[in-house]
Amino acid sequence: MKRKGFINRTEGFLIGIIFLYCAAVTIVNPAFLSFETLFDILRSSAVTMIMAAGIMVVIISGGIDVSFTAVALFGAYVTTKILTEAQAPWIDHLGIAFLCAVTMGVLWGLFNAVLVHKLKLPAFIITLGTQNLIFGIMTTFIGSKTYGAAAIPKAFSRFASAQIFQIETGTGKVGVSCFVIPMILVLALTWFIMYKTKMGRSIFALGNSESAARRIGIDPFRVRLFVYAYMGALAGVAGIVYVSQVKCMYPNALVGDELSVIAAAVIGGTKLSGGQGKLLGAFLGVMIVHLLNNTLIFLGLSSSWNNFFVGALMIVSVSVTAYQERIKNRRHFIFTE
Amino acid sequence: MSKLKKWIREDSSLFALFLLFLAVAIGLRLAVGKSMYTPERMLLMGYQVPEFGLIALGMTFSFLLGGIDLSLVANANLSGILGAYVLSGAWFTGMPAQAVVFIGICTALFAAVAGGLLNGIMIAKFSVPPMIATLATMTFYNGIAMALTGGGSLTGFPEIFIRFGTARLAGIPVIFLIFIVVTLILGLILAKTGLGRKIYLYGENPIATRFSAIGNERLIILVFCLNGLLAGLSGLTIISRVTTAKVGYGDAYLVQAMLVAIIGGVSPSGGRGKISGVMIAIATIQVLSSAFTIWQLSPYNRKLIWGFVLIFVIFVNHLIGIRSRRKEKRAAQN
Amino acid sequence: MSRGILTAKNLGKSFGGIHALKEINLTIHENEIHCFAGMNGSGKSTFIKCVSGIYEPDCGEIILNGKTYSHLTPQEAISEGIQVIYQDLSLFPHLTIAENIAINKIMNQGKRLVNWKEIYSVASAQLEKIGVEMDLNDTIQESTMANCQLTAICRALAMDAKLIFMDEPTTALTAREVKRLLAVVMDLKKKGYAIVFISHKLDEIFDVADKITVFRDGQIVGNFESSSLDKKKLTQYMTGSEVEYHRYVRTCREDTPVLTVDHLSQKDNYTDISFSVRPGDILGLTGLLGSGRTELGLTLFGLNQHTSGTIMLEGKEIKRPTPEFMRKQGVGLLPENRSVQGLFAGKSIRQNLSSASLSELTGRLGILDVKKEEQLAEKMIADMNVKAASMEAPVETLSGGNQQKTVIGKWIAGNPRLFIMDAPTVGIDVGSKAEIYDKIQYYASKGMAILLISDEIEEIICNCNRILVMAQGKQVAMIEEEERLATDPALLEEKIMRLMSEEKRPDDELGAGGVS
Repeated sequence: MKRKGFINRTEGFLIGIIFLYCAAVTIVNPAFLSFETLFDILRSSAVTMIMAAGIMVVIISGGIDVSFTAVALFGAYVTTKILTEAQAPWIDHLGIAFLCAVTMGVLWGLFNAVLVHKLKLPAFIITLGTQNLIFGIMTTFIGSKTYGAAAIPKAFSRFASAQIFQIETGTGKVGVSCFVIPMILVLALTWFIMYKTKMGRSIFALGNSESAARRIGIDPFRVRLFVYAYMGALAGVAGIVYVSQVKCMYPNALVGDELSVIAAAVIGGTKLSGGQGKLLGAFLGVMIVHLLNNTLIFLGLSSSWNNFFVGALMIVSVSVTAYQERIKNRRHFIFTE
Repeated sequence: MSKLKKWIREDSSLFALFLLFLAVAIGLRLAVGKSMYTPERMLLMGYQVPEFGLIALGMTFSFLLGGIDLSLVANANLSGILGAYVLSGAWFTGMPAQAVVFIGICTALFAAVAGGLLNGIMIAKFSVPPMIATLATMTFYNGIAMALTGGGSLTGFPEIFIRFGTARLAGIPVIFLIFIVVTLILGLILAKTGLGRKIYLYGENPIATRFSAIGNERLIILVFCLNGLLAGLSGLTIISRVTTAKVGYGDAYLVQAMLVAIIGGVSPSGGRGKISGVMIAIATIQVLSSAFTIWQLSPYNRKLIWGFVLIFVIFVNHLIGIRSRRKEKRAAQN
Repeated sequence: MSRGILTAKNLGKSFGGIHALKEINLTIHENEIHCFAGMNGSGKSTFIKCVSGIYEPDCGEIILNGKTYSHLTPQEAISEGIQVIYQDLSLFPHLTIAENIAINKIMNQGKRLVNWKEIYSVASAQLEKIGVEMDLNDTIQESTMANCQLTAICRALAMDAKLIFMDEPTTALTAREVKRLLAVVMDLKKKGYAIVFISHKLDEIFDVADKITVFRDGQIVGNFESSSLDKKKLTQYMTGSEVEYHRYVRTCREDTPVLTVDHLSQKDNYTDISFSVRPGDILGLTGLLGSGRTELGLTLFGLNQHTSGTIMLEGKEIKRPTPEFMRKQGVGLLPENRSVQGLFAGKSIRQNLSSASLSELTGRLGILDVKKEEQLAEKMIADMNVKAASMEAPVETLSGGNQQKTVIGKWIAGNPRLFIMDAPTVGIDVGSKAEIYDKIQYYASKGMAILLISDEIEEIICNCNRILVMAQGKQVAMIEEEERLATDPALLEEKIMRLMSEEKRPDDELGAGGVS
């Protein structure tokens, strides 16, 4: 019996690109090849990675969500407000912050799930509506003031500067940020849910074929509730990590980045038609996007070039995969449009 | 009178939409007071409508095909910026102003159509799902614009270009008149021509159009090029109004455009919807938006309201759908 | 005699006042292969849905393994060992074969976690039961239709099925695959399972069935030992009368061929096909699924580029056909799958009828001439005898027969020189069928060249004046006019059947497995 490789074609392609790119940058600027760069990329990609894991789950279930950045912002903002404005010092605690943000994320996720399931319109349009709604509720009813570096909860600052371990390099000490911890936990949890639980397999089944899933007794509504709530929860986590990372809280942060998170997942081989997607692919997709974000500077290009390269990469990768599928379908006389 | 009655019976949803518009327009007059429809206010609306109206028309076309075009605003922006490079004299120096304006407009429109063409080719020739294709090109166009400008703004357009942007004919803004002409042409195309019929048929069942020798690939490329043209016009309108070009202008229009298309009765799954509905929806959104300006609502409050309206409209459509299905069922049983 | 796995007593079910099932009495025993025969809409599927708990019958009772149910839930049906394999198979395309086999069982256990070892052991245990080897790590999407069908059977077995309903399991299989599947079914019977087999292919029915139950108009017409029936009698029971269709004879005198195909090949699908069609010819193109008949038809309409050979339309060679070009040259194609490829379901009859003639109906500036369109629709509705309230009615409200007449009409409207019709009467009631045959013959006698693709031999024999038989992508015979007229229809039928299933290379039988 032949075993399927751990790495599929898309992932091989992405790994190849990462290697080529790294080689090219190193040749232009040898300073690139350092632990500092690596740790930097890891630190900065944590937020995207956490959200990408969530959106991958949603897309595998056959849905889509563009409201998660608003959910993340909502969770982070409200949590910041609670943590700073509460009079009790014990409340300024990272655990409470995560709990608070995740709870709100789950609630918004459930709200999304109900709308998507009941209204039977493309999830993209519905969650675009809820994105505006959630953002609007936050800025209108909860607050729209900016929290500067001095004003954000102490727990966040401590979280931001904490490092798991440090290593000695020629120029000084560099360390791995604690942001990697929630990122790894989320990736592990997502992997566990998707491959080791019945719910995970139901999510795959639903994304493959809703009617077939119904026939084997899967309740699509329950699965959707889980999927969107999980997305919400991860958005909550990402929100807290985000505030800690940028060390301030703008009321219009994050919103607008949802499409680039989806782009990362899509570059990683997640198919919007549902039922297909791998965590490794999503991971590589996020890595590529952040590799570009963080290292274009080494090539002498400003960060303004980020989207140019991400967009070009995305155009090429989606065209190639879609074209292969088209050829395969035509050979079997499946005329999809 | 009987003609009106016939219209109401045949196009009840359009009629309902019209009533909604009247209710909103009159309601706002009562709520805001006299300042709602002053001539100056109307003029201002005339300048604002074309920008997002053109984007909304593009969205309508992509919805009719059963797809979506996320790249419209990015394309408008990029083509505006490319036009602005020419207009500001950065690229063609030492030419008379008229020639610069002409080349600038051509550059913008040409770039916009090329942007639409790329979408069309990805969708038609490579079978990339429209949402993914336009998400990719959206990122790409924004990326080009950002890489070119570095986030800065371009100014210093020739006087005649700015004058054209604010010009009026018989008291009506010229760009509004252009918008009306474009809309009428598009309405005619959809309602009266073979191309329009093909768009509706494709939206209903794209596989059957392939088997009916309708020429799917040409159709898709054509429509997305048209979308590009609309985006280009919108981009030119934007830079002529604000007299600068910068990445990020008009980002809010994407949501508004979808909102307009959905309120206007265009089905996002394809094959159904009319320009007349979209027109009424544009008018409704515009008077609302003007009222928000009078009330000095923050962009935050507006987002809340747009989001709420979008969900609400979808919800109401859903209820209407359930009711009409029940009615049909009852009719089928009798 | 055993008491049987399933007994239906006086079962009845109606929808909106129409009896879909009426007084059904039937028993299915273990160790038997039971075939349900009947036209579309005769009540077979409704019966299956009732006994598997999907529909609640209005009256009567269902006895499963001796236990009587008047209200059966799907869950109860499953626990009594009833499994249904629907025509669409309900598989998950991007999951592996192993998971597809085991998922039903896994989902119905109380556990929250998934044990992959268990999935693989369940899957390989089922494969062992049917004696077939497959790569469990292949996804359904990469598998052949036959392996998908076997996966579905395994999934049913994994649920401890005693009785498996199979709804037209062989329609999408090639001749070799059908043999393999039937062998599996026979084997399961020997192991004590009961199989109910729905098929329209009479040969298959006689090949495997122990018993045949014939449904017609929601009732059981008869319950027979298969040895007591022959094809002719069975058809008679199914249709309710002995239908004799008018036999077409070509009268047209024009002998210059409309279409000439010379040594046409397409990699993987068909090789070395040569024939020509004259005006007034109804050339039958027949063969089993996988014989390349449909693929050849698609090529001639420009939807499937040939790799070598020539296509000549009235003497002009066509190098790279596209549907748009072929339509302009006067070629039409009635596609195989009416609802997916032919119809704009939500659009009106008028819009459907004009959909292939839009460029003829547009005038200056591309404006569509609605008057002309209405005239065309009116004419085609009359010519094709489409029964509808008005031309503005959406086609989805029409019956299958009228829908098909609409799709045919949309091509006839353009008055094609060559009309390729793929499976023109699949899933259509007998009345409309006869009408459609009349239309085909009428237009041919007016000089239209028709290429009729079908695997219904009777359809081919009565309508076609010349017959091309394909098997495994090769042209195995061309029966010309004289031979067809000189031969007795029954003998001709036998000959075509033999030719169709001609095996050029006697390779893999049962248990070959794997992806081909």
